[in-house]
Amino acid sequence: MRTMFSFLQKYRLATSVALLLMLTELTVELFQPFIISKIIDKGIGADNLTVVLQWGGVLLGCSALAFVVGIISSFYASHVSQSFGYDVRDRLYEKVQSFSFANFNRFPESSLITRLTNDVMQLQNTVFMGLRIMLRAPLLVIGSVVMAFIVHPKLALFLAAGIPFLGMFLVWVLRKGERLFRSVQQQLDGVNGVMQQNLSGMRLIRVFVRMKHEAARFSMSSERLMEKTVAAMRLTETTMPIILLVMNTCILAVLWFGHFELDRSGASVGEVVAIVNYAMRTTGALSILSMIIVNFSRARASAQRVEEVLKTDIDLLDTEDSDTEAKLSAGDVTFEGVSFRYPDTGEHVLEAITFEAKAGDTVAIMGATGSGKTSLMQLIPRLYDLDEGTIRIDGIDNRLLKLTQLRGQIGYVPQDIMLFTGTVADNIRWGKEDATQEEIVHAAKLAQIHDTIMKLPQQYETVVGQKGVNLSGGQKQRLTIARALVRMPVILLLDDSTSALDVQTEARLLTALKQMHCTTFLITQKISTTISADTILLLDDGRLLAQGTHEQLLRNSDLYRRIYESQFGKEGVSHA
Amino acid sequence: MLNLLKQPFQYERPERPAEESSGTGEKASASKKKKPRAKNASLTLKRMADYLLQYKGRLSAVVAMVVLSSAFSLLGPYLAGRAVDRFLIERDSGFIAFLLLMAIAYALHSLTMWLQSVWMITISQQTVYRMRVQLFNQLHRLPIPYFAKRQQGELMSRVTNDIENVSSSLNSSVIQLLSSVLLLVGTVSVMLSLSPLLTLLTFLIVPLMVYGMKWITNQTGKLFKAQQRNLGDLNGYIEETLSGQRIVKAFSQEQNVIASFRLRNERIRVSGFWAQSISGFIPKLMNALNNLSFAIVAGVGAILALEGEISVGVIIIFAEYARQFTRPLNDLANQWNTLLSAIAGAERVFDVLDEEAECKDEAEASELKEVKGAIDFDNVSFFYGEGAQTLRSVSFQASPGETVALVGPTGAGKTTLIQLLCRFYDASGGRIAIDGNDTRGFTRESLRSHMAFVLQDPFLFEGTVRDNIRYGRLDATDEEIERAASLANAHSFITRLRGGYDAQLKLDGSGISQGQKQLLAIARAILADPSILVLDEATSSIDTVTEIKIQEALQRLMKGRTSFVIAHRLNTIQQADKIVVLQDGALTEIGSHEELLEKKGFYSKLFNGQLDSSVLSGAHS
Repeated sequence: MRTMFSFLQKYRLATSVALLLMLTELTVELFQPFIISKIIDKGIGADNLTVVLQWGGVLLGCSALAFVVGIISSFYASHVSQSFGYDVRDRLYEKVQSFSFANFNRFPESSLITRLTNDVMQLQNTVFMGLRIMLRAPLLVIGSVVMAFIVHPKLALFLAAGIPFLGMFLVWVLRKGERLFRSVQQQLDGVNGVMQQNLSGMRLIRVFVRMKHEAARFSMSSERLMEKTVAAMRLTETTMPIILLVMNTCILAVLWFGHFELDRSGASVGEVVAIVNYAMRTTGALSILSMIIVNFSRARASAQRVEEVLKTDIDLLDTEDSDTEAKLSAGDVTFEGVSFRYPDTGEHVLEAITFEAKAGDTVAIMGATGSGKTSLMQLIPRLYDLDEGTIRIDGIDNRLLKLTQLRGQIGYVPQDIMLFTGTVADNIRWGKEDATQEEIVHAAKLAQIHDTIMKLPQQYETVVGQKGVNLSGGQKQRLTIARALVRMPVILLLDDSTSALDVQTEARLLTALKQMHCTTFLITQKISTTISADTILLLDDGRLLAQGTHEQLLRNSDLYRRIYESQFGKEGVSHA
Repeated sequence: MLNLLKQPFQYERPERPAEESSGTGEKASASKKKKPRAKNASLTLKRMADYLLQYKGRLSAVVAMVVLSSAFSLLGPYLAGRAVDRFLIERDSGFIAFLLLMAIAYALHSLTMWLQSVWMITISQQTVYRMRVQLFNQLHRLPIPYFAKRQQGELMSRVTNDIENVSSSLNSSVIQLLSSVLLLVGTVSVMLSLSPLLTLLTFLIVPLMVYGMKWITNQTGKLFKAQQRNLGDLNGYIEETLSGQRIVKAFSQEQNVIASFRLRNERIRVSGFWAQSISGFIPKLMNALNNLSFAIVAGVGAILALEGEISVGVIIIFAEYARQFTRPLNDLANQWNTLLSAIAGAERVFDVLDEEAECKDEAEASELKEVKGAIDFDNVSFFYGEGAQTLRSVSFQASPGETVALVGPTGAGKTTLIQLLCRFYDASGGRIAIDGNDTRGFTRESLRSHMAFVLQDPFLFEGTVRDNIRYGRLDATDEEIERAASLANAHSFITRLRGGYDAQLKLDGSGISQGQKQLLAIARAILADPSILVLDEATSSIDTVTEIKIQEALQRLMKGRTSFVIAHRLNTIQQADKIVVLQDGALTEIGSHEELLEKKGFYSKLFNGQLDSSVLSGAHS
């Protein structure tokens, strides 16, 4: 909660202005009964029309003042609350962007989205409401009680007796409500999760005709959300009846004891009536207070969820002694005894990998499914940190390079195709923000996608991605390759990025890549691709089984020979 | 300091007409074809009311409780007043009995109030639940191209933020609206009985109020909608950049995505600022009008009192009632405001619900029951929207149990052909027949239930490995699942996972490789045991060692089923009964491997081409 208040610090001034304006408004309003009494006593009572008109004018003036002040305060309050929301979202998003993958594993994507939107909205609305009415209700309660004590202390005690009880009750509701609302938000995450899975797996669900199954899953999750929401709201909705019950009991007590006090200590009827009146006013103010509390308990649940994200420790950062000047130049890559396991898992997926790739080399990585190819590749741009060993790039430990420097000079094409909503040119420009049109076209030509782009309705300005046109898997794949090539990387990483391409296109692409003069790592299953590589790394179950050129492996590695045979038949081998 | 104070007044007001057209341009044009939908608040309101009216019984109970609790809330102060008059001033007897009566009235007040809200919560949450499920089901009925045009996160926002908005206002609004109206009627009738002239004067402010409210709601309605839209846009952006996090990181684009996030965030701030500021006017306006009527009543009342027309007491009572009269109006205004933002949310939900569904199976569509598996593509043509033709008069047949390999360069239309077969799209020309009957004559569900797919991107759900395989056939036993996994050669890697078949898979598939994903997808298809099998580039990224085993498994699986395979592996193609070569949307060659080689066309060049670039060069070096 404290973190949330610190966000308001920046708007101290506007906040105080808003509160000040609200107090002004309140004062003006409280002044009105006084003016009315003047009109009655000095005007009507004394048969004086001018006094009536004078005070009437003052009354109108006050109303006008209250109105203007109220309007201005509305602007200030919404400025504070919207800017507060903006800042929280901004900080959250920035934080999330700095997350390592281990950090990401702690929060499901749908939960992060809910936190960034829904939870922040909740907080923002509470701030707005707080600035407008939060102080008002407690002030009214305190004012009424104080006034009651001035009128008749003994009777006021009966009124005051209910207040501590209600105070405790409201605190209890706040606490319990917070817990209940947190579970509501959690279940909301669950519902969103199912929804998200369904949206991304829509095709699969269609072809397997699993709509009923999914619908059942979703309605179960929604039902749980409904139950949780009902439970939370039932609690908060009991506050009002209970406040009424307690305060009304107080009124009964005041009447009962007032009845006796009339005889005993000479309380006047007027005093009893006044205290009953104050009790009623307090009831009104308390009901507003209970509304605030309901909102507050919701907001506190949201605040906790937001803070949880903000307080997450980032576990992959630039090291303190990282050299700010160091840059990649040639692109030599060496692995020295590298072992790695995914955060929070037991087994190593890579063990004691050692190899060397010279600048400009093409390194093909081969191996069975799950042998650690992708993991090995992801270590080069330091998407994960290793457990043991060192990866050196141009002789520098990659942990000593600044992340932006390191990643800025690596072109990475992941296995799963991901395009962002935007034009074709935007997507390629992703690799290099200041790329000129020529550079973009050049990259597209290298990636063998230029001709396809020219056939699209708006060529390079065609919108692709989640909202865009349909591209085939191969087309998307080449677009992601163009995105990596446009930055003229020193090191290029292709994670099985040619799987959806036909043989001819792939061959043209690989020839084009040769012109790039960058150190290229490519994961592949095709011998046709490995033949022309300078080095082949053959991985098996996290270990480097063999490395060398095609001919060397053909001679030295049984596994490699078997793969070769499977793709080209026995005759191929006998030729060799 | 001065600048800081000026801050709230430096927001540029969003140009409403412009925003309206730019923001919804796509949507507007998309929905124009649909039945004309009056996009106004009252219609949306009526639809929301229809939802609530389904709970007539419980709703009337709530109404009854609201009437009772309103009555008790008026009765309370009255009884207190009577108590003062009778027992404190007049000192009547029977005080204790009267206090008991009061206690009962108070208790009943609390009870009815509690019941009204508890019942209402159930109604409103069930309504929200129904809306949510309806929206979900609708999404499953929408045609696939609908999703191609939209961001996932934006749709997500409709299921969450918008529905949440409806949810929170339904709860309080209904009760408050009702009790406000009741209180209003009550106070007006009392006022009329006291002094018709003063009542009339009090009513002077009503036109002002109506006009003011109209102005404000006019402004805020649009602003709230803009805000929800901006929120949807932000949601979409977050979703996209989070699921693409690997790319964001690898390209170290964090600063850039943060910058464009900020842009969207700022848009929310601006539209939110105006929506909130202006809607904040409502209580202030009400208060001002309230005070105005107070002043009028006091002023005119005083003159009347001076003339001796009315007593001072009536002024005091009236002043109080004038306040009582505007308070429910004030509440109404406040609720109206919440309602507006709910309407904005509901409208966006209804937008989706009103989209035309894919699955309007033809009226006479029947269930496809027995399938032999003869597939006939008869002059099939297809184009996406107004785009170029992606398929041009493709004709060929597949006999039951035959394996058909689809071969051709990227973008030749292989995937499209498959999508037409399972009716993601319907052919623009020609027809596809199954056992001699047009596929359009069958329901999509029954058609697809005879097919199994291994798609390009093997999608896995969050859940256990077992559940993911079971997706192929929901009633499969654990043994059947393990048998299918063994057949797909997935069993050995699954047992090596932590937790084995109960290992949890993440939505993004982290923790298991692309190849392993495909093994699971194959196991899923094996379990489904279909008559028609479709493999869409499934074998392309599985390593060779595994692939040999996969080939065996697939051969076994394809036996007795009509199979369509999009593959790049020549040995898969070689073993097919029929090879269909597609180029640029047209069928150019068809026949067995040997037949096509003899033709010396594209296929033979392709086949020899690969040998040229690999085996031969390998042999030479």
